[in-house]
Amino acid sequence: MSPYMLIILIFTLGLGTLITLSSSHWLIAWMGLELNTFAILPLMAQQHSPRAMEATIKYFIIQTTAATMLLFASVSNAWLSGQWEIQQMSHPTPLALITIALALKLGLAPMHAWFPEVLQGLNFSTGLILSTWQKLAPFSLLLQIPPTSSFLLITLGFISVLMGGWGGLNQTQLRKILGYSSIAHLGWMILIMQYAPPLTLLALTVYIVLTSSMFLTFLYNQATNINSLAISWTKTPMLTALTPLVLLSLGGLPPLTGFLPKWAILQELTKQGLTPVAALTALSALLSLYFYLRLSYATALTTPPNNLPATLPWRIIFKQPTTFLAVLITMSLSLLPLSPSVMAFFTF
Amino acid sequence: MKYLLFLLLFLLILGVVGVASNPSPGFAALSLVMVAGSGCSLLAGQGGYFLALILFLIYLGGMLVVFAYSVAFTGSDYVEGWGTRRISLAAAGYLLLVWGGGVILSTNLNEEFWTVGASFGEFMSLEYSLVGVAHLYMGGGWLLVAGAWALLLVLLAVLELVRGASRGAVRVV
Repeated sequence: MSPYMLIILIFTLGLGTLITLSSSHWLIAWMGLELNTFAILPLMAQQHSPRAMEATIKYFIIQTTAATMLLFASVSNAWLSGQWEIQQMSHPTPLALITIALALKLGLAPMHAWFPEVLQGLNFSTGLILSTWQKLAPFSLLLQIPPTSSFLLITLGFISVLMGGWGGLNQTQLRKILGYSSIAHLGWMILIMQYAPPLTLLALTVYIVLTSSMFLTFLYNQATNINSLAISWTKTPMLTALTPLVLLSLGGLPPLTGFLPKWAILQELTKQGLTPVAALTALSALLSLYFYLRLSYATALTTPPNNLPATLPWRIIFKQPTTFLAVLITMSLSLLPLSPSVMAFFTF
Repeated sequence: MKYLLFLLLFLLILGVVGVASNPSPGFAALSLVMVAGSGCSLLAGQGGYFLALILFLIYLGGMLVVFAYSVAFTGSDYVEGWGTRRISLAAAGYLLLVWGGGVILSTNLNEEFWTVGASFGEFMSLEYSLVGVAHLYMGGGWLLVAGAWALLLVLLAVLELVRGASRGAVRVV
């Protein structure tokens, strides 16, 4: 792609999220979301294959449907209450519709079916933007709207954790696995949103760090399925040694960073008297843990059959800059001892 | 005046039925022109002249024209319209639906919820949309720039997406 086009698209991605994050009027928030949708479409279609075009079209249809629902709900709210403030929505019907529209935008279950398929059609860097940056703007809106039906949010959250775990069990393609892991993590974030919004932000940030590490790891190893992942130890042994730890951090195991949001969320849910929800969600996270374990097993715990020349790529100097990945992996493995300051960072 | 209103409303309903019942996109677009024409005349008669003008220019003159050109690529040999029995029956069914809906909804005839204009500030007795656009250009500031950037971006994104000739998945162009 022409560098001018690339600059314009990436700038607009940043501008759209910034506009939505800083808006108090529903129309401006909608404008930022539409900017994000349109800016990422050429990036997704960069590969010019039919699979990439299919993913682009699916993404476009889903996002515009969600944006239209959002617009309808905000106009209905303006009609009913006479004003367009995001934080002053007073009527329950537009509130519920906006929650569902934003859930569709994010890829929460039961509106999650598009997400793994769209991710599968993209290359890793575009998929990374889709999984991390594109989640910021809808979350900022979800955090700002007044409390809505608590049943809706808990249902969305719990079903997302369940479907994210269950759906990922039968996958061998790594991008689909990362898609289902995203759905599960988003479920955890939505679950706690009405009780402790700082924990949602904490879960979102930790998730972004973790999933960026995974996307970049798969990008450097050029591994698109479990079979390719299994021979990636020949390319970067050091990275291969750390990948299982990042995966277990994604699964939420102590003493890794991924444990922190789950711990805090379960604690807060129990304090709110929702112990059965907390227990069921923790049990559903076991499903995700299983396929993370399967990936760790394929990456570092077994050595598939190989011939001698194919075991030597690590001798060639790795030219790609890996500083950012190093920082991300350090953060995804070792932030748990800093829990108090990490949580204080998000409490506002 | 009553006869003019009746004619416009009749053409509106007929056009909507035409859009709904025609499987061929060309005929549906033609019905859409009839809908837009009569609807805009009704709107202009009630004081919403600016909205009607903008609709004609942008909707009919921009979007519908592009749609018609895109549809012209998909020309089919056997175009069905109101001539075939199946479609004319469907159209009659839709007309019946509208008539039934009108009968049900006509019980509350004294409601008035049609306001398109207001007087406030320095804009006296002007239409809301006209005042809104004027406000956007007058005090919009960076929002106007962001809106213009959004339009430019959509143009560039579409150009990048349909850039064919072996660089795209749409190989025929």
